[in-house]
Parts: sequence; structure tokens; C-alpha cells
Amino acid sequence: MSVLEKGLNSVWLAQSRFRRRRFDDCIEICTKNLEVNPYDQAVWYLKCRALTLKNWIDDTEIEEQGLGDVLLDEHQTAQVARPGTSLARPGTGAQGGMSPAVRPMTSSGRPVTGFARPGTSSRTVSRVKPGMLPWRAPVVLSMGPVNHFQQWPWHLCRFVRLGTASILSEPGGPFINSEKVDIRKYVARPALTRALCDYMIYVDHNMRRALELCALATQAHNFEDWWWKSRLGKCYYHLGLMRDAERQFRSCLKNQEMVTPILELCKVLLRLDMPSAAIEQYNSALQAHPSDSSLLLGLARCHDELGDSEKALQFYKAVLYHEASNVEAIACLAAHHFYTDQPEVALRYYRRLLQMGVSNTELWTNLGLCCFYASQYDMCLGSFERALQLADDSTLADVWYNLSQVAIGIGDLNLAYQCLRCACAIDPSHVEATNNLGVLEHRSGGEEQARAYFSAGQASEGCSYEPYFNGALLSFKLGDLQEAFNQVTKSLELFPEHHESLELRKQLKAHFTML
Amino acid sequence: MSGEKVGPSEVLPRAGLVVSEKGNLTEVLCKPKILPLKSITLQKLEEMEARLASLSKQQQQDQRDGSV
Repeated sequence: MSVLEKGLNSVWLAQSRFRRRRFDDCIEICTKNLEVNPYDQAVWYLKCRALTLKNWIDDTEIEEQGLGDVLLDEHQTAQVARPGTSLARPGTGAQGGMSPAVRPMTSSGRPVTGFARPGTSSRTVSRVKPGMLPWRAPVVLSMGPVNHFQQWPWHLCRFVRLGTASILSEPGGPFINSEKVDIRKYVARPALTRALCDYMIYVDHNMRRALELCALATQAHNFEDWWWKSRLGKCYYHLGLMRDAERQFRSCLKNQEMVTPILELCKVLLRLDMPSAAIEQYNSALQAHPSDSSLLLGLARCHDELGDSEKALQFYKAVLYHEASNVEAIACLAAHHFYTDQPEVALRYYRRLLQMGVSNTELWTNLGLCCFYASQYDMCLGSFERALQLADDSTLADVWYNLSQVAIGIGDLNLAYQCLRCACAIDPSHVEATNNLGVLEHRSGGEEQARAYFSAGQASEGCSYEPYFNGALLSFKLGDLQEAFNQVTKSLELFPEHHESLELRKQLKAHFTML
Repeated sequence: MSGEKVGPSEVLPRAGLVVSEKGNLTEVLCKPKILPLKSITLQKLEEMEARLASLSKQQQQDQRDGSV
């Protein structure tokens, strides 16, 4: 503590630190004060709020779904939903969606978008097979105070783990022990109860206990307080009780029309796989809050998930009309323009992001790609160099892969080969890199090696059709017609309109009838 | 002048009559992949998970040291 700070009132100082979002400093001062006087409610409140805000995450955009949720989904109403009404069957509603021949697919069978949120990579389509690896399987860590782990729904596991982390990182054990707190005593003090509730939800992640608190508090407010109802809905959502959550949010909106409960209600509806109802909800909310960018963004995401990229685009543009610096909208528009053959426009969007201060591996890689395809060669390799400097293990393989695309574009196959080898060494399950390596290997005459690469690409369980088609073509050329037919069938399962696969199958059928 | 009508004679090109020609089937390369930018929430989540991982590693290390 400096000389100046010694003369200050410590609670005032803690408040100032709290306002400046220096939560760690604030918590430290509060802890010292509480050691002297454990019953100081103002300090207790301040520490509780500081801990909550330190661990706070924007949960309106989180849609975590573990494999357990997908396989044991008890909210599912129809096994085969009608076209365009289910998130499990994207691209069935709207015509003219992106073809996989132009836009690559993510591992969950969706066209890649320009923006990743928690949940965008875990949303699954109907291609879940038994034995398939969960994308974000929770890892059971046998440690810490949280041992009631097995009974939670899968999607909660990530939050339970985070709760363990936040509690472990506090010196001297948890600040509040949710299990031992006398809830009834707190309900009489509304300000403290709210702080306690948020602590239970965001720091402790003890939803069962938070639910008890919310239920009592709602009752104490004669079932008329929207804030408590929205928290009640949040607890139900985290406990996996979607219908109860929906009821609470709807009742909350009857008391007070607020944007956050609407977003959470739509999140529940999307989890129940009712995108049409969610869209309807967003639209009616937009009449009350016409320029709210989070509602527009939610609508855009919804259309994007349904595979209706044209409509999504309109809403992303509307978001930018109201909020010109929205990173998600800019990134999604940029990705769309890149894949519709307008890299110059995409370049402008990415440059805008750069001007806004975003600087990470992903952005520099995208800039490099856009520069190359927009014929601005001077910037291209420089951007990739920066991307490589900033990259960590999770993105490095993708950067090398994209660099190999540039190398193939300028005809430097040696460089391309080296880049792809780098990508495969970093991430052996990188489907695109193994496939392209196979193609290069085949062109230079290494047929056995190419076949090995294609089968490695197929074993990665991605949603790209390329390894299957290339494998089929190679088998066809080597005379293994049965194998070729099997693989081309799989390729057509993943991309039914692929013209070359259809052609190959026709040729194979002609061969079979001749035999 | 005879009554014969002389119209313009047809000129047929010798090559290029086939407008579309089917090429041989070739391997397909995967397309360039635009990397999705991460949202702030996702970054914060990953940061917290990294902190958890390092904490658990440290704990295990401490336990090992304690048992030795």
C-alpha cells in the first residue's frame, strides 16, 4: 500500500477499486477488513459483488450441449422434424444455402461462420454415432469441494468445473459456503439476497441451492418480482428443466418486458429445438425494442443455424446499422463475402476489425487469405507471418493449412507440402490438411501414401466429403471398384448434390452392369 | 439474271462444335478455411479453464512433493 493509500478509508478504497474493475485488489482489501470485523455487511456485499463480477460470463450466448444431452434428449418431440423447423436438420428449409463445394463444413456439419461462441461448435446434427468422440466431453477431475458431479446434466459440467476453479483459486477456502448458508435468514434482506444469489450462480455454480433461494425470494415478493423470476428460470435452465425455465421466463416477461429474459427465453426455445418459436419471440420483442442489436443478432444467429444465410445476412447488416462496431456481425459478413467470391469486400470488413483493435491469429489468417484472393500479394505473407507469431496450439494447424492454400495458389507445391506436413504434425486429425496432402502425394505419384492419407482423413469423422470422393477416385483408378463404390456412396451421403461423385457412381454402375 | 436465289452459304467451324466437354474426374482439394473469431465470452471461458488446468497441475505437483 502506498503512502497516499494509507490515509484513506479502506472501504472507500475498495469501492473505488471495484468501480475501476480492479476486482482482485478490491477482494484483497475486503478480505482484510472482514478478518477484523466479520459482520460488516457493506464489506461483505462489496466482496460478494467483486467475486461475482470477476467470474461473470455473459451466459445469454452460451448454449453448451454435451454428448449426454444429445443422446439422452428427453425434450425431443419428433424423431424426424419437418423441413426447416429443426436445428438438427439445417439447410432443409431454405433453398440456395451454401454448398459444401464452396464453403467448408465444421465438424458438426454446418457451414463455417465467421464467429465462434461457446456452443457454436458443440451444436450437433443428426449424425451422432455411438462411439463418436464427444466434442467437449467434460473431464472428471477428482478434486476440490465439488463432488456431487455425476448427478448434473452434462452441459452443466463445464460450469461446475469453472466453479471448482474459482473456489480453488480463493485463498483460505470459499468465501460463502452455499450449502451451509441459512437461506431463510437472507430472504428478509433483499439487497444482500440478490448479491448472494448471483454469487451462487456465477461463482459457486451451485444451481440447486440457488434455486431454493430464488423460490423463497419469489414467494416473499408475492410472485411479482421479474428479477427473481428470471433468476429462477436461469437455475431451471442450468438444471436441464427446460419447460420450467420457459414458464418462468414467460411469467417474468409478463411482469416486466426486459431484453435479457427474452434472450434467455429464446435460448431455452432453441435448446428445445423450436427455432420457429424462437424467431417469433424475437420478432415480437423487436416491435417493443426496435433498435436492440442483441435481439437482431439473436435472430441472425437463428437463421444462420437453420442454414438460411441470406436472411441471416440481412439481420447482420441491420445489427451494423444500429451498432457499427459489432465484432460478430462484421466477422460473419466478412466470412459470407469471402465465400461468395468477393474477397475484396471481406478484406474491408477485416480491416475494419483491425482498426477496432482486434488483433489475433484468426484475424491475421483471414486477412492473409483475403489479401491473396484479392490479389494484394504484398500484404499476404506478412499477415500469415503475424498469424504464426500469435498462434497457439489450437489454431496453429489451421494457419499452416491456409498458408498451404496460398502456396498451392502460386504453384509452389514444395512449400504447400511442407505447410501441410506442419499442419498434420500439429493436429493429426486435421481432415482438410490430410486430404490435401493426399492429393499432392497422388499427383507426385505416391499412390499408396495418398491412400493412407485419404483413409486417415476419413477416420477423423469430419463432415467433409472430399476424403471420401478422393479415396473413391483413387480406388477406381487402381481398379478396386467395390471399394470405390462404398466410398463414393459415403461421399454422396455427406454432399448429395456433388456432381463429380454422381458422375463417378454412374461410371461405376456402368462397370458393374458390364460385369 | 437467272431466277435462282443465291443465299449466303453456311460457314461451319472445324473445331469447337462441342460446346461443353466433360473433363476427366480429378481429385478435389479442400477449400481455404476462414477462421472464426472468438467471442469475448469464449475467450474468458477458455482463460478460466486454462487457470483450472494449471491449478490442478500445481495441486498434483504439491501432493507428489508432499508424499515424497
